[in-house]
Amino acid sequence: MTESATVVQAVEATNAAGDVGEARSLGADAWRALRKKPLFWVSLVLITIFVLMAIWPSLFTNTDPDNAVLRQARERPNANAWFGRDIQGYDIYSRVVYGARASILVGVLTTTFTVLLGGAIGTLAAYAGGWVDALVSRVTDIFFAIPLLLGAILFMAATQPRGKPYFVIILLVVTAISILGWPSLARLMRSSVMQVLPNDYVQAARALGASPWRIIRKHIIPNAMGPLIVVSTINLGAYIAAEATLSFLGIGLQPPVISWGVSISDAIVGLRTTPHMLAFPSLFLSLTVLAFIMLGDAIRDAFDPKTR
Amino acid sequence: MRGTTRTIAVAGVSALALLTAACNGGSSETTSATGGATGSASASGDTGASGGEITVNGCQPENQLIAGNTSETCGGDVLDTLTAKLVHYNSDTAEPEMDIAESIETDDNQNFTVKLKDYKFADGTPVTADSFVKAWNYTAYGPNGQGGSYFYGPIEGFDALQCTGTEEGKECEGTGKPKAEEMTGLKVVDDKTFTIKTTEKVSNLPVRLGYTAFAPQPESFFSDPEAFGKAPVGAGPFKFESWTEGQSIVVVKNPDYSGTNTAKIDKITFKFMQDMDAAYNELVANQLDLLTAIPVSALIDDKYKTELTDRNAQRETATIQWIGMNPKADPTLAKPELRKALSMAIDRETINKQIFNGTRTVSTGWVSPVVSGYKANACGEACVFDPAKAKAMLEQAGGYDGKLTLTYNTEGDHKTWTTAVCNSITDTLGIECTATPGGEFGEFLTNLTEGKTKGMFRNGWQMDYPSIENYLTPIYAKNADSNYFGPYDNPEFEKLLKEAAAAPSNDEANVKYQEAEAVLAEDFPTIPLFYGKATMGWSDKLNPVKITPFGTADFTSISLK
Repeated sequence: MTESATVVQAVEATNAAGDVGEARSLGADAWRALRKKPLFWVSLVLITIFVLMAIWPSLFTNTDPDNAVLRQARERPNANAWFGRDIQGYDIYSRVVYGARASILVGVLTTTFTVLLGGAIGTLAAYAGGWVDALVSRVTDIFFAIPLLLGAILFMAATQPRGKPYFVIILLVVTAISILGWPSLARLMRSSVMQVLPNDYVQAARALGASPWRIIRKHIIPNAMGPLIVVSTINLGAYIAAEATLSFLGIGLQPPVISWGVSISDAIVGLRTTPHMLAFPSLFLSLTVLAFIMLGDAIRDAFDPKTR
Repeated sequence: MRGTTRTIAVAGVSALALLTAACNGGSSETTSATGGATGSASASGDTGASGGEITVNGCQPENQLIAGNTSETCGGDVLDTLTAKLVHYNSDTAEPEMDIAESIETDDNQNFTVKLKDYKFADGTPVTADSFVKAWNYTAYGPNGQGGSYFYGPIEGFDALQCTGTEEGKECEGTGKPKAEEMTGLKVVDDKTFTIKTTEKVSNLPVRLGYTAFAPQPESFFSDPEAFGKAPVGAGPFKFESWTEGQSIVVVKNPDYSGTNTAKIDKITFKFMQDMDAAYNELVANQLDLLTAIPVSALIDDKYKTELTDRNAQRETATIQWIGMNPKADPTLAKPELRKALSMAIDRETINKQIFNGTRTVSTGWVSPVVSGYKANACGEACVFDPAKAKAMLEQAGGYDGKLTLTYNTEGDHKTWTTAVCNSITDTLGIECTATPGGEFGEFLTNLTEGKTKGMFRNGWQMDYPSIENYLTPIYAKNADSNYFGPYDNPEFEKLLKEAAAAPSNDEANVKYQEAEAVLAEDFPTIPLFYGKATMGWSDKLNPVKITPFGTADFTSISLK
């Protein structure tokens, strides 16, 4: 018995190797698919640029974003100010470059928090089952009932970000969006874990006496993470847009913090007369959001065997 | 004393607004015509058909609509249409003309005899000498806490109506209770005659009597002021119809109006609008009939002139704007040299040109050029942009550590210009300055009154009556309602105000007031910035709207085409 089983396996392995080359993990498979996608590379380049901007803005411009030359306010794009100047006489190019930091920070931090929180809670609910699952599911239902933006506006209005330091405001915005962003990821993770749970390797690990923690860490999470990563990448773009919306409404980031949302809000007075003030921050915001959503899209395609 | 939230607008005919807070609505009225000229319009047409309804931009009043307690334009604009006063200011020249008063006579500038015409309140009761005397006593009486109380200061016996307690918040309790409830200076002679005696000579008393705080009140007011404030009754050309909290106030033509200043339209809806751009869009689309302040977005490159062809107007008005500071709330701003340094660091010309698109005039003092008694250049070089002198002055003041804020109220377009002012200060002096939103007008004013606002804050003023005095006493006198500056208290200034009030003639009074203004230039409690112009636009269905010297729309003369 033992011997024959071994033989069959060996044969299968040989066949597989003959057809497709050596065995690959899901991740490696996805990477192979991704490498061939131009969309993936475009979004990656864009994201790299924006992240560089966020970390090291002086790499892109030498102009001080806080230097207001009121006499040249509303100047159209020209050789001295590539993107022109806004209503206060700030150099728009430099404002746009420096504004990347707030957006990227909010996007990345919010995504991190929602993934950690949503992932953990979702896994817990699915693994524990029973009343824990019921409770978590109902709690996520409650959060689902509150629209993201409305909830964030309420939260920001209640916490009065006025006059607080840069990182406190950023964290407030992150908290506001995270509080309402985690339930969708928790649900996703819950269903994903539930799909993984009945698999043989999980049963085997359990039969061998592995602790729940070990099972979750070694077997469930690596196999259930795929959808979470995909959705959170797409969400990252949405969170950046949410931050810009809050700032635009005057309850997110506040001057002197430079942010695209604030720039757009300030430029709106010129919509009729000097639309270039509005166009550039909007363009950068759109590109960033687009880049993350494209990346998420590409990753989703790569991870989903059905699309191959 | 009305604070307008908006910078530009000044609307009420009689009103003076304190632009301090820029509440938006003060002056502007946007009318959106509801349903065009309504059919009911009695076509008695002389010039322009009468009748019809209009919608005007308005804003939420800070308090209830009580004439003696309204010192901001949001409520003031509405009250101006509802009330008639002894005198009425000419909508072209701001000269006082007799309204309810048949005559106001005096031989000595101290004893005045007022004779009344036959006027009726909107509720049908007659306006008698009692209506004035009782209303004035009510407003002046300390425990009633009326914002317009200080207007009665010159009248004999005013002091006896004030609370004398010293304990904060309990000034009117126990022994602090006023000794009298009626001013001895007011005497009813008969139904249509009363006399006013002032403590000292007051040369410009008749000029003052057109302010809303001097409006008469009907009997119903005294039985329940609270309820009255929600549905006020006056003797003006319009009467109150409804007030939807947070949304609108509606007034209709007063069919029993007794005066000559008759309204031509039937109904005005003051629609509270937070977003002036939205209001402007409604105006362009003819959904709003009158916008009393054109937003910055449309002023850029004079855009509004092309979008509102033949339906816009601009006029220099009696509004002024300045930056206030409360040295008690923020001791770092206590030195006059520092305040002067800040003033000299503000490039008013460029801000006017780039941000306001020339809809302001640069201030050279604390008094508007449109009133009698104005003296040019009272501020001198402290109001002239000069980076080198500003830096030198800052050094003299011992420098400034830390960050500055410039707080503005969120209605109206204050963010843009306050940011520009801050940038100018930062550029010139290297002091980090940030324009900071301070809530809506009501909240903003409350914080100012309670001395909670640190740093600098924006203020504005729309005059109550056309006199230099109105730019000094109500703002900088020690107990003035709008003295948010600590309060500002300088005995010499107080003395000059007293002397001026007692001067036998207007001209002599004005000289004294100018001396008082010179004291302000020394102490520099506030930083003068701009004199206002009002820019208004109206819908296709209106005949040209007249802007008064107060910067308000002349509501009674508005008519439909």
